[in-house]
Amino acid sequence: MLIIKNLHATVDGKEILKGINLELKPGEVHAIMGPNGSGKSTLASVISGNEDYIITKGEILFDDNDLSELDAEERAHLGVFLSFQYPVEIPGVTVTNFIKTAINSSRKATGKEDLPAAEMLKKIREKAKLLDINSKFLSRSLNEGFSGGEKKRNEIFQMAMLEPKLSILDETDSGLDIDALKIVANGVNKLRDKENGFLVITHYQRLLEYIIPDYVHVLFEGKIVKSGSKELANKLEEKGYDWIKKEIV
Amino acid sequence: MAYTEEELKKELETKEYEYGFYTDIESDTIPVGLNEDVVRKISKLKGEPKWMTDWRISAFKFWTQMKEPDWSNVKYKKPDFQDISYYSAPKSKKKYDSLDDVDPELIKTFNKLGISLEEQKKLTGVAVDVVMDSVSVATTFRETLSKKGIIFCSISEAIKEYPDLVRKYLGTVVPFKDNYYAALNSAVFSDGSFCYIPKGVRCPMELSTYFRINQAGTGQFERTLVIADESSYVSYLEGCTAPSRDENQLHAAVVELVALDNAEIKYSTVQNWYPGNKHGKGGVYNFVTKRGICHKNSKISWTQVETGSAVTWKYPSCILKGDNSIGEFYSIAVTNNFQQADTGTKMIHLGKNTRSTIISKGISAGKSQNSYRGLVKIEPRAKNARNFSQCDSLLMGNLCGAHTFPYIEARNNSAQIEHEATTSKIGEDQIFYCNQRGIDTEKAIALIVNGFSKEVLNKLPMEFAVEAQKLLEISLEGSVG
Amino acid sequence: MELKDKLISSFMAFEEKLDLNSDVHNIRSKSFNYFEKNGFPTKKDEAWKYTSLEKLLKNDYRIFPKKVISIELRDVKKYFLYDLDTYKIVFIDGIYSPFLSDTTHDGLDVCLLSAALSKPKYKKVIKKYFNKIALKNDSLTSLNTSFTKEGAYIFIPKTVVSEKPIQIIHFSTGKQGKMLLQPRNLIVVEENAQVQIIERHQSLKSFQILTNSVTEIFSNKASHVDYYKIQNDYEDSSIIDNTYISQDKDSNVKVHTFSLGGKLIRNNLNFFQNGENIESTMKGITIIGDRQHVDHYTLVHHSKPNCNSFQEYKGIFSDRSVGVFNGKILVDKIAQKTNAFQQNNNILIDDNATINTKPQLEIFADDVKCSHGCTIGQLDNSALFYLRSRGIPKKEAKALLTYAFANNVLESVQIPELKNRINSLIAKKIGVNLGHDL
Repeated sequence: MLIIKNLHATVDGKEILKGINLELKPGEVHAIMGPNGSGKSTLASVISGNEDYIITKGEILFDDNDLSELDAEERAHLGVFLSFQYPVEIPGVTVTNFIKTAINSSRKATGKEDLPAAEMLKKIREKAKLLDINSKFLSRSLNEGFSGGEKKRNEIFQMAMLEPKLSILDETDSGLDIDALKIVANGVNKLRDKENGFLVITHYQRLLEYIIPDYVHVLFEGKIVKSGSKELANKLEEKGYDWIKKEIV
Repeated sequence: MAYTEEELKKELETKEYEYGFYTDIESDTIPVGLNEDVVRKISKLKGEPKWMTDWRISAFKFWTQMKEPDWSNVKYKKPDFQDISYYSAPKSKKKYDSLDDVDPELIKTFNKLGISLEEQKKLTGVAVDVVMDSVSVATTFRETLSKKGIIFCSISEAIKEYPDLVRKYLGTVVPFKDNYYAALNSAVFSDGSFCYIPKGVRCPMELSTYFRINQAGTGQFERTLVIADESSYVSYLEGCTAPSRDENQLHAAVVELVALDNAEIKYSTVQNWYPGNKHGKGGVYNFVTKRGICHKNSKISWTQVETGSAVTWKYPSCILKGDNSIGEFYSIAVTNNFQQADTGTKMIHLGKNTRSTIISKGISAGKSQNSYRGLVKIEPRAKNARNFSQCDSLLMGNLCGAHTFPYIEARNNSAQIEHEATTSKIGEDQIFYCNQRGIDTEKAIALIVNGFSKEVLNKLPMEFAVEAQKLLEISLEGSVG
Repeated sequence: MELKDKLISSFMAFEEKLDLNSDVHNIRSKSFNYFEKNGFPTKKDEAWKYTSLEKLLKNDYRIFPKKVISIELRDVKKYFLYDLDTYKIVFIDGIYSPFLSDTTHDGLDVCLLSAALSKPKYKKVIKKYFNKIALKNDSLTSLNTSFTKEGAYIFIPKTVVSEKPIQIIHFSTGKQGKMLLQPRNLIVVEENAQVQIIERHQSLKSFQILTNSVTEIFSNKASHVDYYKIQNDYEDSSIIDNTYISQDKDSNVKVHTFSLGGKLIRNNLNFFQNGENIESTMKGITIIGDRQHVDHYTLVHHSKPNCNSFQEYKGIFSDRSVGVFNGKILVDKIAQKTNAFQQNNNILIDDNATINTKPQLEIFADDVKCSHGCTIGQLDNSALFYLRSRGIPKKEAKALLTYAFANNVLESVQIPELKNRINSLIAKKIGVNLGHDL
């Protein structure tokens, strides 16, 4: 589904990604771990099409589409979803209004009619329940004045609504207490199936207790330096990132 | 391929005024120019009583002594008042019993504007007093209203039919000496709307008027007078679109609102007159005086969505004379290309426990200039007066300007005044966030702008909110910040 | 004789004693032409809408001091920041007092403008800086420029950090009748240099005095200037302070203005930013009563990207006093990433006090964060209740809250001795017993 080949990318002229290779098949959950500044969030931004990041070499294929040629919204229409580490506030636009616009934009792009209001409402109720979100929350302005936990829950709620093929969770666990983390993880797990894949970016192993990955990759100085199973995450938790740094040197 | 900012800008620039068309109806026009005889002739043509003619003449005499103001933050070529025709009325002056009798050309125009009277009538239950150029040509729902004792007619009709009411209130809120354009309007106004809600009556429907400037070279001098008698309520809508025209057109309207004890008036405006083309040529000069007076426990609420006109100069104001009265001003002003808007409000607190709220949202794009100018004045007698003002500006692109000039004068120590103002742009991160959710940049901007304007849009009656939202999108399509 | 006419004849007399061929004199006469043509501002000028000079200008002021008057240090010591080692430039009725001053030429120049204008070694600096940023189209500034004669001259060369703060004090004795004083200060701070300056105008008794002061401050690349104005004069003293500040890149200038006394005070404070990464800070505390009138008129012109400006003015007005705040922020098209913040909070203590405020944003760049806030109100009743519930009587509680309201502006004062001094001035003014000697 997602194939990344020798990906190099820069931001403000500085090379952050220095040759990433990764393949993610439908139904798989991959975790990307690594110390701060290793390029984890850059990878998420590059895949989702943030224009501040420039691909200088390599390619990203998604269901045989070359993503680098597509705008962020076109990637979204194909089914790429990014749960932002720092979700943006949009004053005056309610969560409901926003998600309606998003869903109907994607439907329009794929030649479908707008989702009938009744169905939309039904779907919103259903997914909101899944993430323990009440109706008051849905009529608040997008992310404005949300707590850290509310912001992240809102991201996963949008993911549930949009039903993407590939979901990238960028540090979704940061700033969450254990209860919120469980709700979010629970939501993600319910959305897991044979058709879709997840790229879980995290600094800590904690989230992976709840979202069990099929593969774990360690990103260091812009490259994947080690890949393995869930065990690798445990080892990182235990020993920190230093042993990997030593191993590379 | 990516839809670049440049492309968006280009598309926006080429976006011609949507309602730019011209209806060919024969008109009865007084030759251009202005002098005392013209004023007399207007009054005579309209069959006005002597007191009205005299009032016009005094206004005219006063006007000739005045100088055109230049303190506002707008630049424009001063109109040549001798090059304007001060009266034009559609030839067929007969009143219609049904819409079928109305000139089909006119109906066609309204259909293009999406304000088909039939539809309005059936679907919304709105009584429409259509002002086409200067004379009223169709009025509906008069009967329903008259059963409740509500008077809703053209001001010329009111002068003849209800001279006592008109004489009692006309010029009391905006005296002709008030300012240059108010004086001019008082001398030459051709028509407008009149509305009276009797004591204790709650007007059952939104009253609305559509204004259009149509005749080439015709200045539009509307005069509106709304009187809400004790404990009554009325919501009044005013919507404007104008055909595309090359030479500048002057519009100097005067609106007076009187809210007697315990009454409430809600006055909403959507203004979409021709803003001129992308080179700044043409467009309407909109120099309006709008003011309301609040008696005891009454409330006046102004809501405006200003997207049109080349130059706007407008400050719907409230004189909070009665104790416990409330004034509100909610405004969205959008400027694009070479448009200039200098708009805001005045809240004059005279009575005790008076309260006022000002929410102003300015959105500037292209090479436009958008100014908020406001005055909050707390007079010594106004114990416990409260004001809250918020003026937010959104800039799109780097060639436009946003300006805020809030004057605050407090002369009572029990006053509580809060004023906030911010200027910002649409964040790239906001747009990317929307993009990532599958929303394209243009739609994202519409969404963000709508969110920005929401507090004001929410104040509009339903029928208007949708139209207003559409107008915002049309006015701003493509102007990426 | 009208004051304007008197000034015209005085100017002619003044000219007779000067070298008419100097560059400076050229500037003087040009400025005088401007003043002669435009006269004093009136309420019809938008910038003077809320402040009238009419009454003040009716006085028959002496334009030039008649004689040199000396005063004893012990009589005026309290007006100095005496518990601190400082340089001092002191004037009495507009004439330099060597006895009270403590100037220097050792590594930096702290001396007199009259000296700088006449001595060849300063010629380069004068040519480069004098009257370069003072507005040419401002009547009062022009008037000051035309009578330029005396004032403080401060020059801090590259990388020099002035170890001691500099005090500029203008005393007026009242022994020569009503007076119009027009001091002119020039302050040049070169690259990476730093200085702290305290300016004070002080009458020694109550009499009609009008000061029309102009100060030009040049803060060059990466320099720091910390400027304090203490305005706590007698009830008949009025001042129009015109301060112009030009900043180059990476520089940081802070101006604090404490307006606690005087009849009419008008502070025209202008910041011109001419480079990137500039910080400009303006703070003010105004506490007045009776029929006092204080008008703060600030301008920040952001003309380069990535600069910040910060304004915080607090005012407390009682009796029939009048407060005016007019803050203009101008952001040029090129000045992206500007951060401009302005806050003006006021409390009206009495029924008859008036506040007129007009914050003004004029913005031509889109990627900026600008905000202004303004409040007029009373003390927080819940806070008042809280204090009273703890046993503090209403009067004291009110005073304490008022004090707290104003006092947080002092946080950014860098000279502890000055901070203490202002603190106790405020406490005294409000009537708070702080319980310990400051």
